Amino acid sequence: MALQILIVDDSPAMRSFIRRVVRLSGIEVDHYFEAGNGAEALEQLAANPVDAVFTDINMPVMDGEEFVRKMRENGSTQSIPVIVISTDATINRIHTMQALGAMGYLQKPFGPEQLRNELDRVLGVNHE
Amino acid sequence: MNDSVAPEMDALVGALLHSCSEHVLETMFFAPVLDEVNPADSNGCIRVVSRLHFQGKPSGDFEVDADPGVARSLAAGFLGIDDGEVTDAQIDEVMAEFCNMTCGSALSSLGCVQYFCLEAPETSRPSEFTPAVTGVRRGFLLEGGTLSVCLRVDFDRS
Repeated sequence: MALQILIVDDSPAMRSFIRRVVRLSGIEVDHYFEAGNGAEALEQLAANPVDAVFTDINMPVMDGEEFVRKMRENGSTQSIPVIVISTDATINRIHTMQALGAMGYLQKPFGPEQLRNELDRVLGVNHE
Repeated sequence: MNDSVAPEMDALVGALLHSCSEHVLETMFFAPVLDEVNPADSNGCIRVVSRLHFQGKPSGDFEVDADPGVARSLAAGFLGIDDGEVTDAQIDEVMAEFCNMTCGSALSSLGCVQYFCLEAPETSRPSEFTPAVTGVRRGFLLEGGTLSVCLRVDFDRS
């Protein structure tokens, strides 16, 4: 089944890189939605059906923590799997994002295999 | 920090900088490190420079400088396009990403860091580069030129 993916990052270059790595990972994607911050991402989620979200943490206007919190407060978005993509892999940060409702965490740098494994894990895909 | 501990910490930070830079370059920029170089060799040269300050426990600064040709190749590798298609704005943005990623990766690997927040990197193109960050610095030879990274961690002010 082809997925609809939302990528949330204030860097267009990083959004482009994530699209490229998703493509290299072999994951079939029907459509990419993009947002430059959490507020734009909530608008995208209100207007489009999305299967999974990749989000940065440090962003202007609305950061990743606030974005994930608001997603979880909304009945129509609370069950969509969220994978955080960040340079920050300190235990404090990972626990904070998990407590807010993030289901996955990818530390930069990452490659296609790590991204695919994490996406499969949060979507419950089993290749065995 | 106590003077007798500082050299050991510098050696640890230097080793981390090396491994994190190499990992970031190879994984996300498809640019293998060919050799180590003396980072001071880039002083006074035309460079593309990106630097950031981080707040937290501890706080500090990070700086990366690269030959313009290397910066262009890194941007092309990151974006998956040809060198000739890369714009200056994309080079600046990708250098900022490299700065952000390598700094975050090194801090996350440094066991004594409790939390940190990276401020937005600023990228410039000085015609005669002078390092603005005084810290542990490492230089690398990549295809087409050199790249250096420098990390200062203010343990005492945490």
